[in-house]
Amino acid sequence: MTASDPVADEPLTLLGGRIPYVEGPLKVTGRAEYTDDIRRPNQLVGRLLRSPWPHARLVSVDLREARALPGVAAVLTGERYPTPFGVLPITHDETAIAVGKARYQGDIIAAVAAEDERTAELALEKIRFEVAPLPEYADPEAGTRTVAEPIHARGLAGTNIQKEVVQHFGDVDAAFAKAAHQVRVRGSFAGVTHAFTEPLVTIAEATPDGRLTVWSATQVPHYLHRALSEVLGLPMHRIRVVKPEVGGGFGGKSDPLPHEIACAALSLETGRPVKMLLDREDVFYTNHGRHPTRNDVRIAVDGDGRILAYDVEALIDGGAWSSFGTVTTYYNGVLAMGPYRVPNFRYRGRRVYTTKPPSGAMRAHGGTNIRYSIEVALDQLAERLGLDPFELRARNALPPNSTTVNEFRITSTSFLKCLEAAKRASGWSEKFRKLPFGRGVGLGCGFYISGSNSPIHFTPKMPQSTVHLKVDMDGGIAVHSMQADIGQGSNTLLAAIVAEVLHVDLARVHVQRVDSDVSPIDLGSYSSRVTFMMGNAARSAALQLRAALVAGAATLLGIPPSEVEVGHERFTPRGRAEPAVTFEQALHQAMEKVGALTATGAYQTRPAGGSFKGARAGTAPAYSFSAYVAEVDVDVETGDYRVPKVWAAFDCGRVLNRLAVEGQIEGSVHMGLGQVMGESMNYRASRMLNPSLLEYKIPAPQQMPEVEILLVGDADPEGPFGAKEAGEGPLIATLPAVANALYDAIGCRFTELPITPDRVVRALEERRKEGRPWKGA
Amino acid sequence: MHLDPFELHRPTSVEETVGLARSLAGRFDYLAGGTDLLPNYKMHLNLRPHLVALEAVPELTGHSLERLGAMSRLADLERDPALAAAWPALADALREVATPLVRASGTVGGNLLVETRCFFFNQSYFWRASLGFCLKADGDRCHVVPQKTTCYATFSGDLAPALLVGDAEVEIAGPTGRRRIPLTGLYDAGGDGIRRLTLQPGELLVAVHLPPRARGRRGRYLKLRVRPAYDFPELGVAVAGRWDGDGRVQELRLAVGGAEPHPRTFDDLTAPLEGQRLNDARRAALGEEVARRVRPVHNTFLVPEYRKKMVAVFVRRALAQAEEGRAA
Repeated sequence: MTASDPVADEPLTLLGGRIPYVEGPLKVTGRAEYTDDIRRPNQLVGRLLRSPWPHARLVSVDLREARALPGVAAVLTGERYPTPFGVLPITHDETAIAVGKARYQGDIIAAVAAEDERTAELALEKIRFEVAPLPEYADPEAGTRTVAEPIHARGLAGTNIQKEVVQHFGDVDAAFAKAAHQVRVRGSFAGVTHAFTEPLVTIAEATPDGRLTVWSATQVPHYLHRALSEVLGLPMHRIRVVKPEVGGGFGGKSDPLPHEIACAALSLETGRPVKMLLDREDVFYTNHGRHPTRNDVRIAVDGDGRILAYDVEALIDGGAWSSFGTVTTYYNGVLAMGPYRVPNFRYRGRRVYTTKPPSGAMRAHGGTNIRYSIEVALDQLAERLGLDPFELRARNALPPNSTTVNEFRITSTSFLKCLEAAKRASGWSEKFRKLPFGRGVGLGCGFYISGSNSPIHFTPKMPQSTVHLKVDMDGGIAVHSMQADIGQGSNTLLAAIVAEVLHVDLARVHVQRVDSDVSPIDLGSYSSRVTFMMGNAARSAALQLRAALVAGAATLLGIPPSEVEVGHERFTPRGRAEPAVTFEQALHQAMEKVGALTATGAYQTRPAGGSFKGARAGTAPAYSFSAYVAEVDVDVETGDYRVPKVWAAFDCGRVLNRLAVEGQIEGSVHMGLGQVMGESMNYRASRMLNPSLLEYKIPAPQQMPEVEILLVGDADPEGPFGAKEAGEGPLIATLPAVANALYDAIGCRFTELPITPDRVVRALEERRKEGRPWKGA
Repeated sequence: MHLDPFELHRPTSVEETVGLARSLAGRFDYLAGGTDLLPNYKMHLNLRPHLVALEAVPELTGHSLERLGAMSRLADLERDPALAAAWPALADALREVATPLVRASGTVGGNLLVETRCFFFNQSYFWRASLGFCLKADGDRCHVVPQKTTCYATFSGDLAPALLVGDAEVEIAGPTGRRRIPLTGLYDAGGDGIRRLTLQPGELLVAVHLPPRARGRRGRYLKLRVRPAYDFPELGVAVAGRWDGDGRVQELRLAVGGAEPHPRTFDDLTAPLEGQRLNDARRAALGEEVARRVRPVHNTFLVPEYRKKMVAVFVRRALAQAEEGRAA
C-alpha cells in the first residue's frame, strides 16, 4: 500500500473477529422490514397469469370478462410494454408479459391488479386466450439442430442454440498425443434452483408527481432500475428503486425479473400502489437457477501426473430465456482453468433454449458442474497413476502471481495451504482406502472469481462500486451505497470497514437502506464481488474522512497531522497518552466552516484479460481457492448415505468477519450437498413435476454434516485489508468431495447428479455385475 | 394461492357431528389437524363448501394404552413413554411422520384417513389444468398408467402399518349407530386411489382400539423416504411379533404402506412362520415374497423399481430388528 494509506500497517481491532450482523437484533425479533412487510395506502394486489402451454402462439385474447369483474383495477397483456429486457445488454429476450407467444409452462401471459387476492385470481380465470400450439422442445440436444419453430428468432441459424463458444489455447491434440494417461468424464447434472426463503415480492407505486417507486426483493437494484426504465419508457431519474431487507438470493434475484416490471406496469396503469407477492410455485417457474448441463471432460497428463491438457465440451439447457446465459456458456469452460496449471485448453460450449423455466445464475455460477467433472476425473487419474489425490493436486497447483493459458491474472493463492490443512485435519492418510467397505473419504477442490472484472453494463469510466459517508455534529456516520445485502452480511462488513479505518465504535456507523435516490451505484450482489469491490470503496471513503478528522485533531492539539495518533474514539500526539482529543471534538473542529463532513470512495477494476473474443469472461481482480474432504457412510443395501463430516479448507484471503465467512461456508456445504444428494427440478417433457418445497428435496437438518472450517488464506495484495470472496466459491468443492468419497466407500463412480439412493443401488449392482470387487465386497 | 371460502361447523358431540354429516351429505369434509386438507384446498383439490371441525368433540380426544381418540395429536402420543413401551412399532411410526410442527397439529384419525397422493394429483389447480386434470380430481384419465378407470394414488400414512401389526380396531359412528371393525377393514382392498375406504357417507372415525392381547409385542416400523424429515413415505414396513425363549415365533404380523393405494397385511405369509425360528434366509425369503406382491407405480419421487426392491430389504430388516427387541 502507498504512504497515503495510514491504516495499512495498523493491526486490525474489529475486522478479523466475529462480528454479529448489525441488523441481526432486528431480524431475530421480527422487526427488520422486508418488502412484504411494507403496506402502502390504497394498495392493490397484483397477480400473474401463467401459460399452461409449453410453447404456443398467442392468437388472440379476450379480457372483457376479467375487466368487468367488480374489484378488478387493471388487466394487462404483453403488448402494452413489449420492449424486451435482460440482465445482459447483448441478450435482451425476456419480456415482462409474453408478446406473441408463450415459451414455457409458467411464462407470464397476463397480469391483473385487483382489490384483493381472491378477486385477482378470479380475474385470471376469466381471461380467455385463443392459442395455436407450437412444438415443445424439452431436450437441448435436439435444439442444436434446425427446428421447426425456434423458441426465439435470435437462435443460431434456425436452431435453438442461444450461444456457442469455441476456444482453443495451446495445442490440445498434440498434448493428448504425448500423454502418458488420459481420462474422460461425461457428467450429467439436473437443474437446481436457489430456493431462497423469502419469495419474490415487489411493490410499485406510481405517484401523481410523475414518479415511480419500486420496492423489491432484489440482489441488483441498479440493474432493476435500468430495466424498469428501458421497458416502461421512463427516464431513470423518474424511477426510484428501494431494496428493503432481503431473505436470501443465491443468484435467484440477480436478474431484473418480469414480475417486477409487470408490477410496476400495473401501478402505472392504475395510479395506485400494487403489491405482487409470488407463491412458491411461481418462484419455481421464475427459476433462473443452475442450468441442467451435460459436459464431456477429457484430461491428459504426463507420467508424473502433470496436467498437459483439458478438452471440454458442455451442452447447457438454458430454458426459455437468455438471462446470464452467455456468461454461463463461457464460465462452463473457463472456470476449468484453476486451481491448476493447464497449459493447453480447448472448449466448446453451447447453451440451448428449451421450453422450460429459464436458467440463470446460481451460487458458484458456471463453475459448479465443470469443476465436478474435472475433480472426479482427477480422482480417477490419481488412482491410475498410483498417486495420492492430494499429491496429484499439489503437483499441478497454479503458483501465485502467474497467468493462465487463457490470460487470467492470478495474484494471491493459498491453494497449497488449503490442501495441507484439509489433509491434516481430516486424518486423510489414516482413512483413504483404509476405511471399511461402505465408508470413505474424498477430496474436491475449487476456485472462483472474486468479483467479475467487467461490469455488466460496460461503462469504463464509471466505478463498479461507490460508497458515500456523511457525518454531522451528532457524530453518527451515515453510509450510503447500492451494495445489496441479501443476508450475506455486506451491511455489517461495510459498517465494520468504516469503523476499522476510523477506529470508532461500530454503533456509530449506520448503513442506510438502498434507495436509488440517495445511494451511489454499486452493481449489486452477484459474482462474489461485494467484499472486494465495495470493501475497497468503503475503505477509500473512510480514509478520506479519517484525514479530515485527523486534521481537526491536529488543530486542537497544535501539532502537524502527521504527528497525530488515531486511537479508539480519540486522538493523541504520537506515542503519548495525553493530551487527548475525543472523536466529537475532532469532528466539530473539522466541521468549522464546512459543516457536515462527506466523503466518496470508489472502486474500479483494472483492465484484465487477453484480446481474443470472450477474453474478459472469468477475469477477476482475485480468486478464491478451496480444498474440501468429505467423509461418507453408505448403507450399501438401501443406497442411503450420510455425510458425517466435511473439512473445508478455504482461501478467502484475509478473513474480515469470521462469523459471516463461517456462515457462508456452512450454508454452501448444505447447498452443495443438496445438488449432490437430492435436489433436482424434475420434468416430464418440459413440464416441471415438483414445483414445491415438499418434492424439491433440500437436505433436512439431520443430513447436515459437521463442518470443520479451515481458513488458511494469506492476505490478497488488492483486496480490502487483504480479503477475497467467500460467498460462492465455498460451494464448489462440496460436490466432487462427496462423489469421490462415495468412490472410496463403495468403488462406484457417479457422473449423474443428484446421487439419489436408487442410483447408488443401481451402481452397486452394476459394479458387481462387472465382477469388480472393492474393499473385499 | 388463495383458500376459497367455506362454512365452518364446530360440533361438540359425536351425535351432533353425525347429524351434521347427514344434513351436509356430499358437501363437506371433516377437518382434523388440517395439515393435509388445507394445503389440498389451496390447490383446489376436491373442494367442499362445508368443513366440520372435530376439535371440540370431547369423545374424539385423549388416549390410553387401549384407545386412541381419533383427534389425538401425534405429538402428544409421541411424548407418552408408556404408549411407546407398549406399542413399539407405533412409537417408531409416530416419530417418522413429517416434522415436529406437523405432528403438533396432525391427528391419529387424519393420518389413518390421509388422502392418497400422486405427482399428478398433489399439484396446484394451474398445474393440473395445464395437463388436463386426472381421474382423482376434475378429470377423466390417469397420467401414471394411462387409462380411464383406475387411480394409482399412493396411501401415504405412517400410522396405519404400525397399527395394523398391533391388530388395531377402529370405532366408527354413523347414521345407523356405532360399529367396530378391524383396521384392515377400513381400507377397501378392492378399491383404488379414489375409492380407498369402506367408510359410508357421513360416517365418522371415533377412535382406534388397541387390543390388550397384542400389547407388548416387539415391533418395528421402517420408513423409506429421500430425507429423514418432511417427506411422506415412499414405503413403510411394520412388523410386530412375539418370540419364545428359544427364539421361536409365537405370533407375527407384517404390514406395508406407502407403496400402493392402500396399506396391506400379509397374514398368509406370516402365519406359517409361527413356531419357527427366523434366520437370515427365512427373513430374506419372506422379504422377497412380499416384494413380489407389492406393486408401486411411478407417482412419487423415487422410481418404483427401487421402491419394490426396498420392500425386501425393509421387511428383512424390520423382522430382524423387531426380534432383537431393539428399542424403537
